[in-house]
Amino acid sequence: MNTYTALYPILTIVTGALLIILLEVFLKKEKKDYLGFIAVLFLLASGAECIKFWNKGFSYFEGTLLLDKFALFFFLIMILTVIFITLISLKYLSLQHTDHGEYYGLLLFALSGMMIMVSSRDFLVIFLGLEVLSMASYALAGLKRDDERSSEAAIKYFLLGSFASAFLVFGIALLYGAVFSTDISTIMNFFHVETNFSLMALTGMAFIIIGFGFKIAVVPFHMWTPDVYQGSPTPVTAFFSVGPKAAGFAVLMRIFFPFWKEAVNSEIFFHILWILSVLTMVVGNLVALRQKNVKRILAYSSIAHAGYILVAILAGDNSGLLFYLTVYLFMNIGAFSAVIALSRKGKEFLELEDYSGIGFRYPWIGATFTVFLFSLAGFPPTGGFLAKFYIFSSAVHKGLVPLVIIGVLASLISVFYYLRIVIYMYMREPTRNVVIFSYNPALFLVLFLCLYGVLMLGIFPGNILLYIKQAVAPLAF
Amino acid sequence: MIPLSYFIILSLILFVLGIIAFFVKKDLITQFLSVEIMLNAANLAFITFSKSASALDGQIIVFFVITVAAAEVAIGLAIILLIYRQKKSIKTEDIKSMKG
Amino acid sequence: MSELFLVFLVTGVLGIILVLINKILGPKKSNPTKNTPFECGSPYLQDRITPVPIKYYLVAFLFLLFDVEVVFLFPWALVFKKIGSPALIYMAVYILILALGFIYAWKKGAFLWEK
Repeated sequence: MNTYTALYPILTIVTGALLIILLEVFLKKEKKDYLGFIAVLFLLASGAECIKFWNKGFSYFEGTLLLDKFALFFFLIMILTVIFITLISLKYLSLQHTDHGEYYGLLLFALSGMMIMVSSRDFLVIFLGLEVLSMASYALAGLKRDDERSSEAAIKYFLLGSFASAFLVFGIALLYGAVFSTDISTIMNFFHVETNFSLMALTGMAFIIIGFGFKIAVVPFHMWTPDVYQGSPTPVTAFFSVGPKAAGFAVLMRIFFPFWKEAVNSEIFFHILWILSVLTMVVGNLVALRQKNVKRILAYSSIAHAGYILVAILAGDNSGLLFYLTVYLFMNIGAFSAVIALSRKGKEFLELEDYSGIGFRYPWIGATFTVFLFSLAGFPPTGGFLAKFYIFSSAVHKGLVPLVIIGVLASLISVFYYLRIVIYMYMREPTRNVVIFSYNPALFLVLFLCLYGVLMLGIFPGNILLYIKQAVAPLAF
Repeated sequence: MIPLSYFIILSLILFVLGIIAFFVKKDLITQFLSVEIMLNAANLAFITFSKSASALDGQIIVFFVITVAAAEVAIGLAIILLIYRQKKSIKTEDIKSMKG
Repeated sequence: MSELFLVFLVTGVLGIILVLINKILGPKKSNPTKNTPFECGSPYLQDRITPVPIKYYLVAFLFLLFDVEVVFLFPWALVFKKIGSPALIYMAVYILILALGFIYAWKKGAFLWEK
């Protein structure tokens, strides 16, 4: 196959982004609603390209573009994420005075960055993809230009994000100094062969972990997360909580999966990640208990979920990780969609108090939100339960019993704050006058699809697991 | 001829100075500058390693890092300007509308 | 070491001689403006440097971006002969993307002085 055709999935997205940015300035104001639909069209086209490549693609441009099934699976997850985000933002943007057509272009640029990240074996290309993602994210976070919180979110995300990427670059530089290559497999081979590797290589690897730790928001590199999640426009928050995280974990998986078995001194990194995982699960869940703002609760919950996913990386459980991320996509975007549904022109209802009595007043939104919260907490028969079950059981198989005990205890804590929202919705008398704008078909479509996804993955996970097994096969050699 | 290890040490010093400045300084522009210093420390390290291996790819990486840094400057200054217009201040202690 | 010393010696002596020649040969007329301290061409005891209009910042950002992105032309020019005609296409695509960004900025009115 021609090498350049392998670029099609990414090129489609980039073309769509450029087209939207251009149309934004050439179209009249009242026609800008179409931009969202154009974005969805390009996303669907790119998704079709990915499916066409499922059995064909492998490695192009000397490993800098790696279209294996692992990458393609992540492409599809991310494309689905961005389709959902686009649909839930269609009405939100005009309701909240954030009506910039560039929004969809930036989303597509961020998506192309994530796609570049997960489909490469070269640290330089991964770094460039990460930067494309980050630049678009900084702009997305500050999109509500008349809202002080939004620009505060942007500056915090920008400062800490660029700080983290400086760590990443320096880490890559140190590894380059030790191995004279930026290729992941060469670097891992070096760690495998060399019996006493230099301090430089170890520091480089540690810096790379720090850089990605910021991106996927693990404790103690999570300080920016709650504020950024609270301040950003809500659909953007939903995007941040799913997209960049999936990309970051994909890269970590690519780095560490071959590492556990072969490398001579992998214990150091194993212990570092072990500590990070425990801290993330415990701190994320404990701090979430005393939050009063629903977006902040969901922010801390997403930190805690990063901890569970780190367990999957420690256990070397690829398919568990992919399954978790798939479920997480549906339940988290679903929860945020429910939050977005509770808004009207110029006002969003985000305090816990606002949610009292919602369950009876808006029964559909209340019921779906409850399902998503149960799934996030890990109750059967939702997907959240199975995802946690797979990860923890494979960790037990690998003999990580203390880690699993901590994880289970942490998710018990998490039940408190998820249930608190449910209790507010169903067992409190309404104290505030919450009237919402309810004509929003795209949003309800997403709510329905997420509900379907969460329940399907919880009850019939077989089909998706089949594809996941295929997707992780190229990593296992 | 100055030994190559000196450059590595210099780049480490620059990197550490950048980290310290990021945490010590209390205004956005200086924090942002310290991040730029960290990036340039990495550039120096790349060039030195590339010289010691007499390979060119390290220098190519520097090109990419420089352009990335330029893009970061543009978007970062734009955000800082936005903050300044809203608050008439770029001190970190004035950025506190969210708590919890 | 001795060469370094020589350089300092020559430049130092030359500097002293030039200043002295000015003092000895130059005309000794003076006027009030000449007696004021020199301040880089701006009027003496101005309140502060007058700020450049903030409208200018967009042009500055755009200059910064396009100025640095062009850096890739240099390595491209070095290997152009080796790659041949595909190289022209690669760079055309690159420039096209930059040009799209430029058109966007233009249509958004980034270069308008008065909005």
